Amino acid sequence: MKKGSFLNFLLVHILSVVVLLFVLGPFIWIFLCSLQGEADLFVVPPNWIPKRVILDNYRYIFTGEIPTAYEVRGLIRSRISQEARYILPTLLNSFTIALAVMAINLALASPAAYAFSRFRFAGKTPLYIYIITSRLLPAMAIAIPFYFIIQSLNLLDTKLSLILIHSVYTVPFSTWFLTLYFGEIPRDVEFAALVDGCNPLQAFLYVLLPMAIPGLSAAAAFAFVFSYSEFLFSLLLTQTLKSRTMSVLIASLANNPDVSYALLSVCVVLAIIPLLLIGFFFRNYVTKGMTITIFK
Amino acid sequence: MGKHSMKERKFSYLLVLPAAALISIFTIYPLLYAVRTSLYDIVLTMPFIRPYVGAGNYRDVLGSYYFRGSLFNTLVYAGISVCLVTLIGLGVSFLLNAPFKLSGALRVLILFPWAIPFVVSGVIWKWIFNSSYGVFNGLLYTLGIIDSYVSWLSHPFYAKLCLVTAHVWKEMPFASILFLAGLQAVPRELFDACKVDGGTSWSIFRYVIFPLLRPVLLVIVIYETMIGITTFDLVYVMTGGGPGDSTSLLSWYAYAETFKFLNLGKGAALSIILALLILAIIIGYIRVIRLEEVY
Repeated sequence: MKKGSFLNFLLVHILSVVVLLFVLGPFIWIFLCSLQGEADLFVVPPNWIPKRVILDNYRYIFTGEIPTAYEVRGLIRSRISQEARYILPTLLNSFTIALAVMAINLALASPAAYAFSRFRFAGKTPLYIYIITSRLLPAMAIAIPFYFIIQSLNLLDTKLSLILIHSVYTVPFSTWFLTLYFGEIPRDVEFAALVDGCNPLQAFLYVLLPMAIPGLSAAAAFAFVFSYSEFLFSLLLTQTLKSRTMSVLIASLANNPDVSYALLSVCVVLAIIPLLLIGFFFRNYVTKGMTITIFK
Repeated sequence: MGKHSMKERKFSYLLVLPAAALISIFTIYPLLYAVRTSLYDIVLTMPFIRPYVGAGNYRDVLGSYYFRGSLFNTLVYAGISVCLVTLIGLGVSFLLNAPFKLSGALRVLILFPWAIPFVVSGVIWKWIFNSSYGVFNGLLYTLGIIDSYVSWLSHPFYAKLCLVTAHVWKEMPFASILFLAGLQAVPRELFDACKVDGGTSWSIFRYVIFPLLRPVLLVIVIYETMIGITTFDLVYVMTGGGPGDSTSLLSWYAYAETFKFLNLGKGAALSIILALLILAIIIGYIRVIRLEEVY
């Protein structure tokens, strides 16, 4: 091995470790915190390696059984935040809403993208630019009016209200993304189908869509992640566990001075799991879809 | 042919209609509503008096000390975040593009922070920067850099740095993956040809790679500017605009004006100003770097 290439090798590996530590360190730390008793977190300097690994915090969230570690000291016992147990219903709400938003995105954005990438019609460019730039409207600008609209529709504190607004904010991106993606798919097969007597709708459903699965998956994943993460509208429009989402609950826990950090860590870990599932499900498609779309 | 294309046109409108309708209903009407609200003096603590004040709210907002402070904070915050996200993202993308064993794993793992909500990122970093038991204090203390724990989030300057850290941690991976996709589009032969011609690493970057990365650079800069200027979740979770108003960004200020002081008119005026600011900046970018391909 040459000296230069060894130095290169060393440099690349050291930098990778630094980047990995920065990127994953916070996750590892939160995970370690979720496995310790509250009292073990309150030491100076912190225990770099947990003294005692327990699953009590997780058990508390799932069953309501108060962790034994809390009975050690009276003062700390009061820091058990009942609120943390709401994480499960709120996660279910977030997940349901995000799935619905994903479905709406595919149903609305792919036909629109089909029209934009395949046909010519009057007003096409203005319409396209209008749809895309609508995403640039800051959420804060329409938050108040949107609250009153939802109120007058009697939809306050429903999942439907969030599904609507999240779709409004994701469909423009999905349309843009899919228009680019469809544009890269060769039309020969569609032409062949049309010549064979398919109508454009059939060509779209049975020929184009199956070929566009990577792009559709990437768009679906983006829509899911956006909806799952959205905070401002969720904060304004939800009131009870009927529609309250994970992001609202976690923000409320974070601002609760009595919160148990061990339980908060458990909530964070649980909130990340659905994203890992989605990521695992779509892992090959997202980068591929993104690469094809942006770099023809 | 004419009949056929007529049918095609109708079909196109049908395809676009649902998406366009959904977006129009929930953007145009609320926007008009917001503009109208901003022209009245609507304060919810005085529900029965709501006089028309015209540009009064805008004048109040633009002239106020808090607005200038939060505008300055926002521009500095967005500027620093966009620069850091872009530069670190570019650097990391070269690492991800390097041919070595770990790079495959790195490409997957690096997406973690990007996928999680800003709220969760805020909670994690708030705990890390905790003044009494945070791991950041613990680290500096163990290394002997500080003698006693510092309350980072209660210090006007450090609190801003904490926010920027959480922001860059969350956004940098996205930029690096986009840059990576750009780098992979650069043919290997180009690198080799440059080396044969005696080009230095810098000249290869400047004249070969950079021009190819320009479209993706534009996408990243526009997207990140928008995310930076509208930052709200992190402020809500980590600092609540404090200490004092040192981390009060425009979105936070508009939120506080509307939902804490219940001054809907002023809050709406602020939101409209925020929207115009974003529009102006994006038009500026597009003028500077010509957007070659919209579609």
